[in-house]
Amino acid sequence: MVTNKIFLNKRGGEEIMVLYLIAMVFVVAGGLAGMVLIFAGSPYDIREIEATLLMEKIADCISYGGRINENFILNGTAQNTNLDICHLNFEGEEEEFFYKITFYDIKDLDNSFMEIRGGNLNLEASYSINEYSENLPKGAEKSFYSLDNSDNQYIIKILTVVKKFEQNVKK
Amino acid sequence: MFKERFLKNKKGEEHLLWNVLSILLILIILSGLLLFVHIKINGAVILEQSYSKNIALLIDASTPVMDMKLNMDKAFDLAEKNKIPRDEIVQIENNIVTVRLSQKGGYSYSFFNDVDVSAYADIYPNKNYIIKINGYK
Repeated sequence: MVTNKIFLNKRGGEEIMVLYLIAMVFVVAGGLAGMVLIFAGSPYDIREIEATLLMEKIADCISYGGRINENFILNGTAQNTNLDICHLNFEGEEEEFFYKITFYDIKDLDNSFMEIRGGNLNLEASYSINEYSENLPKGAEKSFYSLDNSDNQYIIKILTVVKKFEQNVKK
Repeated sequence: MFKERFLKNKKGEEHLLWNVLSILLILIILSGLLLFVHIKINGAVILEQSYSKNIALLIDASTPVMDMKLNMDKAFDLAEKNKIPRDEIVQIENNIVTVRLSQKGGYSYSFFNDVDVSAYADIYPNKNYIIKINGYK
């Protein structure tokens, strides 16, 4: 009876319009609130920055001022094959990181002269660089030129990968 | 003449009342939404995460010996509101940074730089935290 009264009454049209407007506002406000909830619920993803920082730290440890650290290559001979002197601490999180450093003699860029790898080796198979893909570990890579103490020339390639899904990706 | 006509017109009065009510309701809904957004964005959970990740990245990027002063206005205000002492907002143990702004837990994030770090609040009333990189371990 009430419905009949509203719909049969031409003057009731205005009230229906107002109710319609309020319903619209509720829908828009609900949508905005939902978006805020999604934004607030997603963690900040800093893996790419972490991978870049790790890469830069390794690069500074291996070569400084254009000269390769003598702990790695001395007089054209490979020395250390680990990063123990680089002040890195992956305690309890060994599975979350991966790094690979490849040294190439500039005269033979097809075959590596020396390689250092560490962390979770499975991460090398799948990672993303400079693209948005939440479900893949994030990576960073760079290559640069350096000399050893005997002026032998090398190209050094560094790849770092960070997983840390739990703290950086929405579950 | 128009005023008289309008005030004497019952339909006009009703119309005006409906419009005023609907505008008021819309304003209430929108201000509720703004309050909700403010609470969500400045909430302890988001700030704890943001500050702990920031500090972990700062430590990763640092080399000894270095002092870093981090402005944490929002964190100090929220911690004060939640009765967390100034010196307990940031805690660093081994290679883990923990930021606590409410009575519930806090947020922890690890760093890979193997350095000896200490963190302490700046002199009152400054709302900064000082992160001191003492040396390599």
